[in-house]
Amino acid sequence: MPKIIDIIINRLKSEDEESISLALDKIEQLTDVTDADKIALASSLTQLFYRDHVGMSEMISLANRAEKQITRFGSVLIPFLIDELVNSDAESCAHLGRVIAVNGANAITPLLDAWNKKRADQYALINLTQALAYFRIPEVLQTLPEMLIAAGSDNFQLSSNAINAIGKLVVRIDPNLFDEALRQQMFDASFSHLSDSHSLVRMQAARTLGKLMEKGLLTNAQQEKLRAAYSAILGKDENNDWDDAYIVRHEAKRYLPLLKTTPTSVAHYQQSFRIISKRELCAKTFHYIIEAPLIARKLQAGQFIIIRPHEFSERIPLSICGWDSEKGEIEVVIMSAGKTTVQMNEMNEGDCFKDIVGPLGERSHVRRYRGTCVVIGGGFGTGAIIPTARDLKALGSRVIGVVGARSKELLIMVDELEAVCDEVIVTTNDGSAGIQGFVTNALEQIIKDEQRVSHVLAIGPVPMMQAVCELTRPIGIETMVSLNALMVDGTGMCGACRVSIDGETKFACFHGPDFDGHKVDFDQLTKRQKMFVAEEKQALETL
Amino acid sequence: MSEKSAKKYTELSNKERMALSFQEMSLIAPEERIQNFEEVPIGYSLEEAIAEAKRCIQCKKPDCVDGCPVGINIPAFIKLIENGEMAEAAKKIREKNFLPAACGRVCHQDKQCQAVCVVGKKKEPVGIGNLERYAADYERQHNTLELPEIPPSTGKRIAIVGAGPAGLTCAYELRIRGHEVVVFEAFHRAGGVLVYGIPRFRLPMEIIDEDIEFLEKIGVKFVYNMIIGKILSLDDLLEQEGFDAVFVASGAGLPKMLDIPGVNANGVYSANEYLTRVYLMQADKFPEYSTPLYQGKKVAVIGAGNTAMDVLRTAKRLGADTTCYYRRSREEAPARTEELEHAEQEFLNWRWLANPVEFIVDENNFVTQIKCEKMELSDPDTSGRRKPLPTGEFFTEDVDTVVLSLGCDVNPMIPATDKGVKINKWGIIIVDEETCQTTKRGVFAGGDAITGGATVILAMGQAKTAAKAIDQYVRG
Ligand SMILES: Cc1cc2nc3c(=O)[nH]c(=O)nc-3n(C[C@H](O)[C@H](O)[C@H](O)COP(=O)(O)OP(=O)(O)OC[C@H]3O[C@@H](n4cnc5c(N)ncnc54)[C@H](O)[C@@H]3O)c2cc1C
Ligand SMILES: Cc1cc2nc3c(=O)[nH]c(=O)nc-3n(C[C@H](O)[C@H](O)[C@H](O)COP(=O)(O)OP(=O)(O)OC[C@H]3O[C@@H](n4cnc5c(N)ncnc54)[C@H](O)[C@@H]3O)c2cc1C
Ligand code: SF4
Ligand code: FES
Repeated sequence: MPKIIDIIINRLKSEDEESISLALDKIEQLTDVTDADKIALASSLTQLFYRDHVGMSEMISLANRAEKQITRFGSVLIPFLIDELVNSDAESCAHLGRVIAVNGANAITPLLDAWNKKRADQYALINLTQALAYFRIPEVLQTLPEMLIAAGSDNFQLSSNAINAIGKLVVRIDPNLFDEALRQQMFDASFSHLSDSHSLVRMQAARTLGKLMEKGLLTNAQQEKLRAAYSAILGKDENNDWDDAYIVRHEAKRYLPLLKTTPTSVAHYQQSFRIISKRELCAKTFHYIIEAPLIARKLQAGQFIIIRPHEFSERIPLSICGWDSEKGEIEVVIMSAGKTTVQMNEMNEGDCFKDIVGPLGERSHVRRYRGTCVVIGGGFGTGAIIPTARDLKALGSRVIGVVGARSKELLIMVDELEAVCDEVIVTTNDGSAGIQGFVTNALEQIIKDEQRVSHVLAIGPVPMMQAVCELTRPIGIETMVSLNALMVDGTGMCGACRVSIDGETKFACFHGPDFDGHKVDFDQLTKRQKMFVAEEKQALETL
Repeated sequence: MSEKSAKKYTELSNKERMALSFQEMSLIAPEERIQNFEEVPIGYSLEEAIAEAKRCIQCKKPDCVDGCPVGINIPAFIKLIENGEMAEAAKKIREKNFLPAACGRVCHQDKQCQAVCVVGKKKEPVGIGNLERYAADYERQHNTLELPEIPPSTGKRIAIVGAGPAGLTCAYELRIRGHEVVVFEAFHRAGGVLVYGIPRFRLPMEIIDEDIEFLEKIGVKFVYNMIIGKILSLDDLLEQEGFDAVFVASGAGLPKMLDIPGVNANGVYSANEYLTRVYLMQADKFPEYSTPLYQGKKVAVIGAGNTAMDVLRTAKRLGADTTCYYRRSREEAPARTEELEHAEQEFLNWRWLANPVEFIVDENNFVTQIKCEKMELSDPDTSGRRKPLPTGEFFTEDVDTVVLSLGCDVNPMIPATDKGVKINKWGIIIVDEETCQTTKRGVFAGGDAITGGATVILAMGQAKTAAKAIDQYVRG
């Protein structure tokens, strides 16, 4: 009884498309094929690539299906396929090239071996270059020296094929993998062929140069050279006739408009948003220094930024706790609260945030006060009060800092705050450091001790800000708070951040974030912050 | 199209042409389309396009061209479609409008070219918008778009603020005149309202991305995350950054809110917030994309303009029972007829002559009910308009989400951060009508920033005017 493999192989030879199709169906169902059978099947399947399409409307799709099956058999077939490739005709060569290229790095060495063996056989080399054009892996760069030599061949078919393959690689491979020397060689090899006697070679050269340019692999000088060349091809140069071949002119016409005249550099508007340093302040809370030179140049105390860490992320508003406009760096404190802040805190030095916008919001209210200023921070707010404290102090006011936390381990940024205040008082709920109690206890004490307190700034959890305001309201001490309403754009465009100030609706991102604390409807703010509690929980569960 | 058959068409008499009937564009069935965000109108087939093109009588003095804010040569491109020269037709449109795929879909043709079409005097006007869309889609699908050649650099540099239709058009017009153009956009993506407002089922996002790619190819530079006024001021652009002129196209981004109790309740959104969450931030794919949207089961949309229709249809697609509340009647609804009709097919509820007076909330500030006053229309006043009048009768209905679609005021960022740019009492940036120049030297403005919320094509028209004036200005 004939084996199923033999039956299939027989069917594949049929002149009837239906039978071939059925044979392919059978192959698709085969499992556990031995290596010998794979080769036997592959040699029949590759025969489909050579079939005449005339009168066989399904032949193209059958050949494509054959490709898929060969691919499925994996890398054992590489030697067989390469043998087949070197002798194949133009059309089958494309099919074979593709199925070899699917094997990626595994196929590179055998291809180079074949190249060495067939060096004298230009027909084989044409096919080999064609196959190489289908690779997408960095390893294929090993073959580039050979292709550059082939590009210089006297055989116009080999030369044009090689130049074409180089152009394909340029498109398929990460441009950063081409070093300067390679770029120069590719440019030179192609450019010298713009004056080839054969129009096909000129066309491929014009096209590959265009691709090099499109991928940003050309220097300004090379671009200028290319512009002059394209213009000459198109007859725009008085000293040169136009290239008499339409196919060459066509390429020049396509790429000439893409050559920028004097490239405007926008590089200096592109900020990397790279994390320069990351430091743990306490559990779940980290301090970051981020590269963002344009933002750093413009920041003022009290302003904030919005970070979108990844393409799929939400936009997260964050206060600024410091910046260095010379170095182009900004500082933030990020506390893990939900999905996105957790994801941000998983990022490390060297990683880059996707987007950062800022500076947003208005500058904090600062002027010189006769009496003492008290700046109060809780949670991430401890970082956020530092720039304003520094400004108040610089203007000559006496500044006392107050930092509150549940216990000692959760205290953050105390040293940094001390550096910009005349005095810093620490409070902990459990008494493990500083005064036992809340920041309001410390504030009460200060109000008692100081001659006069003129200004209070509180940033932190809403209940804390609210308590501070309740304390200062009856005694009429000016009190500012920074409202961390939910936000989307941060520019005043959506109204997500609306807060009620003295009964009037304001946008925290645009009119704030600092507001007169005695006018804020804290109850509404608290409730609005809980708008997405269910969704936030759901999001966190996806981590 | 063979030469012979093309000829046959040109032989049609006007009378024969007038006898042809309008080609409706096929729509995905309402039951099916509310399940997803696929584009609703399917677009003409080749046969439909040619049949519709045959309806144009090729007026000697075509009113439609005057009715088009950018003056597209409408009969010429329609003739090309009739002759089967689709790529040429697209090229013809592009002479005046470089966003044809978007405009073919979102323009208010019923208030512009089609409103004045001569055929429309007796019958349904020629489907100019449908044909524009057809030509543009043909060009996209067959890749027939050719890049314009850019003249050698003039060495002049122009900064564009905002990548909406106005900014993009001005960038294009200045670039093809050989200037260096940099577009500064506040968001991480270009397109303005076309990407953060207009829904995907009316304007697929790929279309805008292709248009941006086209601009990049001709050398327009885009920089994202740049809020002009904050990160760089207008003065920074003109002095330190060396730009010769600035075009402000920051749009009408400031949502109007109601001043009634409960407007700041949880679950009450502006249309801008709602649509931005869904489209720009892709909250429809939550939690894969992290931006949340509290999407209730009963959504109330306030207003009956185009934006309201977009919100209604979006909420429906997200699975809500959705109701429109409007204080006038259907006849006064400002939405484009087609949008209103498409919305009406989508199983929405309508409360005409209903004026919201309160959003009732629970103890956690979540909206639970909407309270409306029933209205009636006055007799037409001297302006011919009928005003909604209160009746003193009220009704309440359960809702858990409210979206306010009441229009937008001009984005205040630029005038707020540069006192040289003067605004009128509605916050609109004041410009010279001929040149679009603002009160600040070297600064021009266009689009919604100088009109308040208007339309894509008007924004484009102004941007073209401005581009001409900027060109002259920078050349001295
Ligand atoms: C102007 C402003 C400045 C801010 N500065 C900082 C900062 O410097 N450092 C920092 O770590 N965080 C800061 N926040 C808060 C930060 O934006 C939120 O913690 C963050 O958006 C939470 O996102 P998430 O996806 O991780 O958590 P989600 O899942 O969205 O939320 C988890 C929980 O975090 C809390 N939360 C969410 N949003 C806010 C908010 N806007 N304000 C307060 N609590 C919120 C809620 O209790 C919520 O239930 C600031 C917020 C604003 C508006
Ligand atoms: C939901 C909705 C549906 C609509 N449907 C239609 C329709 O069907 N047909 C129609 O013709 N019109 C429609 N419109 C109106 C149309 O979209 C607008 O008229 C048009 O987009 C205005 O274009 P623009 O360029 O002036 O502004 P916008 O499209 O608003 O673009 C402004 C851009 O500037 C950016 N920006 C703002 N401030 C700054 C800054 N300081 N720095 C940098 N960038 C900044 C914004 O982020 C935005 O990208 C609709 C509008 C909405 C909201
Ligand atoms: S007005 Fe109508 S019929 Fe006349 S040219 Fe324009 S589209 Fe054709
Ligand atoms: S966050 Fe959108 S308006 Fe403030």
